[in-house]
This record gives sequence, C-alpha cells and structure tokens, in this order.
Amino acid sequence: MKIMKVELFKPLGRTALTIVGGFLVHLLSSCSGFETHPYDVNIKGETGINAKQMAIIENEFANKEELRIAFISDTHLWISDARDQVEDVNRHNVDFVVHCGDLTDTATKKEFDWSRDVLMGLNCPFVALIGNHDFLGTGNQTYEVMYGACNFSFIAGRVKFVCLNTNAVEYDYLAAVPNFDFMEEQFTRDTDKYDRTVIVMHAAPYTDQFNNNVCKAFRRYLDFAPGLMCCIYGHDHNDTVSDIYGDGLMFYAIDCAKNRNYRIMTIKKDGYEMEQIRY
Amino acid sequence: MKWNRFVISMVMLTCSLHVMAGDSLDIGKSKFEQRIERKQNVWLSLIPTHFVIQNAGNMGTLSAGIGWSYGKNRKWETELLVGFIPKHDSSRPKVTTTFKGNYIPWKYDLSRITGKIPEDRWRFEPLTASLYLNTVYGHEFWKSQPGRYPDSYYEFMSTKFRLNLALGQRIECKIPEGNRRRHSRIALFYEFSTCDLYIRSMFQSSDVKLKDIIGLSIGAKFYTN
Repeated sequence: MKIMKVELFKPLGRTALTIVGGFLVHLLSSCSGFETHPYDVNIKGETGINAKQMAIIENEFANKEELRIAFISDTHLWISDARDQVEDVNRHNVDFVVHCGDLTDTATKKEFDWSRDVLMGLNCPFVALIGNHDFLGTGNQTYEVMYGACNFSFIAGRVKFVCLNTNAVEYDYLAAVPNFDFMEEQFTRDTDKYDRTVIVMHAAPYTDQFNNNVCKAFRRYLDFAPGLMCCIYGHDHNDTVSDIYGDGLMFYAIDCAKNRNYRIMTIKKDGYEMEQIRY
Repeated sequence: MKWNRFVISMVMLTCSLHVMAGDSLDIGKSKFEQRIERKQNVWLSLIPTHFVIQNAGNMGTLSAGIGWSYGKNRKWETELLVGFIPKHDSSRPKVTTTFKGNYIPWKYDLSRITGKIPEDRWRFEPLTASLYLNTVYGHEFWKSQPGRYPDSYYEFMSTKFRLNLALGQRIECKIPEGNRRRHSRIALFYEFSTCDLYIRSMFQSSDVKLKDIIGLSIGAKFYTN
C-alpha cells in the first residue's frame, strides 16, 4: 500500500512542483513587496500635493485674464476610464485641473497610490478634494498626508477657488462640516487679490452626505463670497446642472469617471462658460 | 434459520468487542479513570502545537502567535496571531488579530533527491494554501456599516475585517530525537497573499494587475509535535 502511494506521488509530485513552483516564482518576480495592511497609512512617493500644486497655480496664473479649468470627479476604481480622461484633458489645453473627490472606492493606501498615479499623468497642475469614500478606514489620514487639508483655497486670475469638505455623514455630523468659520475666513481674507469666487465641494446640499440641517445656513453664508459665480460638485455620478436653491446660483455636477464625461470651465473677464466634454 | 442468525450476530459482536478491547489501552482502568482520561485528552488537544512568527501579509509589520497542527500527516493547521502596525503617517499604531487556516497537501522528503540528506530529516512542502481573517482594532474601523449611513451605502461589508488568501511554500526540518531541546521540528515558509478588497478592485478595474495586489510574507514555525 505504501509503495503504491510513493509511485503515485512521484509523477504527481513532479508536475505539481513544476506548476506550483513556476507560479510562485512568477509571483515573486512581479510582486510589489511586503504589505503591512490596506489601511497602514505608510505613504511612499509624492505627498502634500495640493499645497505644492496650489503654489504653482497661484504663481503661474495670478494675473491671467482668461482661465481654462477642467473639473473631474469620482474616480473610484474606474482607473482605465480615469486614464483616458487624463489623456483627454491633456489634449484640451487647460490651465489646471480640480478633482471633486472620491479618489478611491474603499480608501486603501493602494487605491490612493493608483489614483495619484493616474492624476500624475496630467500635463498641468491639479488639486483634489476629499470625497466620502476617501474617509473609509484611515483614508482621511492618507488623504491629509498625500494631498493636504480637507478645506483649502487658492487664487488664480483674480478668482478665488474655495474647496470645501461637505462630507458631514462621515463624521456622524459631529464635526464642523461644512466649516462656516473657514468659509467666513476665506470670504474676508485677501479680498484685494480677487474679485470673484467659485465654490467647489464633493457632496452638494440636500444630498445624502451633506449636513442637511444647515443647507439654508450654508446658502446664506455663500452670500458673503465676493462675486460668487457658481458651485461645482461631484458625488452624484451624473451631469446635472441645477439651481438647487431656486435663486439663480447654479450648481454644476461633475460626472464619475465611468460615465466618461467631465467639464471645462472657461472664465473670462465678463463671465464664464461651462462646457461638457465627452471622451 | 433464526437461530443461525442469532449465532452469527453473537459471533460478530464478540469479534467487534475484541477489536475494541485491542484498541483501548486502558483495559485495566476503571470506567471513571477512562472517562477522566478521555476528558483530559480533549483538554490536552487544546494545547498549541506550535509557535509562529511572520511579517507582512496585510496583518501588520510583524505578527506572532500560536497554532495547532492536526489531521492525517498534519496537513491542517489553525493559527491565532497578533500583529502590529506601526504609526507611520497615521494618528497612532494599531493592533490586529488574525485567525488563520492552512492546508499543506504535499510533503516531499528531500532524502529522495539526494542520499546525502538523512531520511525523514528535511521535507519540502511545495504548496501551502491559507485563508485568514484579519481584524484591525481602532475607532476608525467598523465591523459593519454604522447606522448613520443609508442601507447598503458602501457595498462591501467591513473596514475592520479583511478576508485574505495566501499561497506559498515551505521547508521543514525534523530535529533528530536526541538533539531536541524545545522543538521537534522547525518550518520556514514564504507566501503570497492578497485580501478581499484588492481582489474586488481587480474585478472592478482591468488596470489593476495581479502583481499590484499581492504581497510577500516570510515566517517561521516552531513545533512541539
């Protein structure tokens, strides 16, 4: 009985050895290394992206008369679509790009690496907001290291872009989201350096992420923004254009990468144009 | 006819009794002693058979734990590990625990390849397959979607629990009985692992390749059985 087993084992063993061994050697040669944990926040490569990119934007376009800005959003795990999107943006000769959030789907460090890798393919400066998906696990900590603060602003061509964290549900409504102090500070500081304001956020008022108790208060606060032009947001995975409050303030939704379209805003001296680009 | 059947049944019963008696070593022991011994054996089987230490594998920089190896040819193993994730760029270091099951289908005695190696001393195990559940501790992680979200807001189940899959190989050294001090055998292993979230991402995006989602681990096991 024992001999039989050995006889059987030998040919089987050799084939198994070759197949399994070959497969494992293949993995060894291609694998990315030791993986501590999906949420380990051990960030390699570019960090503090928003601060660096905003410095470039403010430097290059401080007094530019006409601005062309591409707004993209909701990359999630549609990475190949996002790559095509970046290629298309590169062909459209824009001054800079704003990503409206949801750089990842489950906020693992790897996903942040992948979406950063895609955005690094842009041939112009870019900033990225935090989306609700980017909060999962330690995602918000990864975002803060890789991109920076969740609320930020910059000025280009005498237009101030105020980027707001509106993902209130991720904090269980316990944090100042949206942060009215930040908004007030932004609308009162450096007012000599800009004449108009554009608001960018991930989740718009009255969506499932926004703190809907303060929707009207939020709108009131927006009135402090000098020369408020419009609001731009992501999150909804559609391309709606709406006057949410019914008072003439336009809200432009930026579609997700999967739906293969985005917007280019052209800011001129006397107004702006919003163009939807399909690729 | 009926009587015949009765005799055959009785003979078979005695035969089986005989076999049972031969199996049991505690023939001379009282029922009470046998019962206690059986109970003690159950408890004894809970004593871990090995100590394991390994790095990476989506369960921390370094993990250590205890394990039980059992089954025919000790093909099966169950392990409990505690891992440590350093602070890195996050707000604090984290602890993880892992419940791991291993299957080692083949063992290959290396003395069959070359006579220089003593028989039954070094064994190569060409495949280890593992499935493990990792739990990471901290308020950042939830086991199921908290009530603040609408139903099935985030499709995947949990940020706290990760189901991992690993394939690897190992080499085992049986320490000759005379030289044994603390351990009877030592195994060195390596494995490639990935977790549910990464496999999901590979299905979602053709841009994510197998090489992007697998990580390497190395480790050692020290057995007492």
